[in-house]
Amino acid sequence: MMRVIVVDDEEPARERLRQMLDDIDDYECAGVAANGEEALELAVSEQPDIMLLDIRMPGLSGLEVAHHLNSLPESPAVVFTTAYDEHAIEAFEARAVGYILKPVRKSRLEGALRQAARLAPARLADIGDAAGLDEPRAHLCARRQGELRLIPVDDIHYLEADQKYVSVHHANGEDLIDESLKSLEAEFAQRFVRIHRSVLVALPSIDRIERDAEGRTRVILRNDSQDGGKPLIISRRHVADVKRRLQHGS
Amino acid sequence: MSDRLENDPETAQAFLPDFCATTTVLVVLVVAELVAIVLTIAAWDGSASFLVALSKTSLFLIWTALLGSALLCQLKGRLEAAGPTAAFAWSYGILLTMTLVVAEIAFQLTRVFGQSVIIVESHGEFLVRTVAIAAIVIALLMRYLYVASEWRRSIVLEAQARISALQALIRPHFLFNSMNTIASLTRSDPRQAEEAVEDLSDLLRASLSTNKDLSSLKEEFEIAAIYHRIEKLRLGDRLEVRWNIDSLPMRALIPSLTLQPLLENAIYHGIERLEGGGTVEVDGRRDDDSLAISISNPVPAGAPGKLDGNKMALANIRQRFDLAYGSDADVSVDEEDDQYRVTLRFPLGAGA
Repeated sequence: MMRVIVVDDEEPARERLRQMLDDIDDYECAGVAANGEEALELAVSEQPDIMLLDIRMPGLSGLEVAHHLNSLPESPAVVFTTAYDEHAIEAFEARAVGYILKPVRKSRLEGALRQAARLAPARLADIGDAAGLDEPRAHLCARRQGELRLIPVDDIHYLEADQKYVSVHHANGEDLIDESLKSLEAEFAQRFVRIHRSVLVALPSIDRIERDAEGRTRVILRNDSQDGGKPLIISRRHVADVKRRLQHGS
Repeated sequence: MSDRLENDPETAQAFLPDFCATTTVLVVLVVAELVAIVLTIAAWDGSASFLVALSKTSLFLIWTALLGSALLCQLKGRLEAAGPTAAFAWSYGILLTMTLVVAEIAFQLTRVFGQSVIIVESHGEFLVRTVAIAAIVIALLMRYLYVASEWRRSIVLEAQARISALQALIRPHFLFNSMNTIASLTRSDPRQAEEAVEDLSDLLRASLSTNKDLSSLKEEFEIAAIYHRIEKLRLGDRLEVRWNIDSLPMRALIPSLTLQPLLENAIYHGIERLEGGGTVEVDGRRDDDSLAISISNPVPAGAPGKLDGNKMALANIRQRFDLAYGSDADVSVDEEDDQYRVTLRFPLGAGA
């Protein structure tokens, strides 16, 4: 028996998919979620095989949820659902990603469930680009003791590459995420500036730039943060760029 | 030319008459010939042959008219780029200058060919008189052509506005989501599914009745209420709409199908994007002889999002209020960090 979780912000849409799953042999509905955060909680607690994700949801979008699911050791396969979104549909078609159109046809749902596949982050980013849904995520997702934790991007002070992982220093502590600093820099170029080969700092978290006793330029973080007053060295080749970004206030 | 104007949206956007079109050139030639007749009659004292006098004046005027049309035909693109007022000022200046040049050439030719073509006045008098007549005739002619092309343009715009009003009403997103809701209700609550099908039919029927420019507020609010009922099934507690419209005279007229698209925008760009949903406020107010209706909705803070669809619907509504009331109506937008409001102001009483 394959276990499926239905994620949609609209009650009638969830209800319909749940009932249809009852009618299909070999698949069962292991839970329904009304938003992205509930979906991630269920993904951890229920360990489903497949998730049916609505693309257009307030808060975390379906694409974002799919992205975060990759932080799980056994991430479920994903099938997207949408009522109408020309660009997303084109993107799914071109990349052979499973999707179903609402109102859902039973035979189409069966087909999509059979072909459901796990989606690697690169493939998701690619879909986001193609579908014009490539707005930066509002959260990063970290795994901590088997739980998925969402870290609001606005709360992050700086990101530091640490061998295989990136450590996220944020308002409520520090978490490790399994993403590359390079892709994070590209996604959040608006908010973060690279000050060192292995460090990205959030521009709003910077209090000032100063020289230390040894003549090295460094960033001092704002006092209201937990890392307040903490100095971070700016490597020589990034000094000019950091100053420019600070002056332009972006 | 009229065919071209009506079929080609590019031409419909133009404000200068199309001097490359044969119909316009014909109008110009007819006017030139009529002016020649008027001038000849006015100046005829019975001494010389009327036809000889007429042909001399015609020769001069038709040359001027044809050259002028050719010049404006060539320069049309560049003139249009300057904007309406500047384009008309430039065209006028160019035509007068050209008339002056043609008059000068004509005067010089009479000197060369001597007796057979006689201009009796002095050089200066001749030029001044010609340009003065040209200044009046060209102004009248351009005014006529402008009004004629405006009239055609407004017909095209009205047709476009009606078509896009249709498209604005039924967004595919809304249609398919509603169908999905109905499919779901068919099992869980057949009675409600039945009502939803009836509501959706009413909405589609309203959108297909294209023969109406204006509706009463009562009809418009009914359509908006039907739309609200359908969306309520889908969004549940997340959607509230507060109608503060008791002070509006429900028999007053408003361009058809303008309120529902605004309510749809409020839901699509606002309520739907908020996890906890929100309340759309519809407020109506009567000030003496004008009405104000505003629709406001919460939006996700700091997330302007992609509002292309919204802009299209708004542009369409602006256009239709413009057509119905001209400058007496106003469609304004207030954008705050977490609140969005569209206000329609329009005169009470007969529109159009």
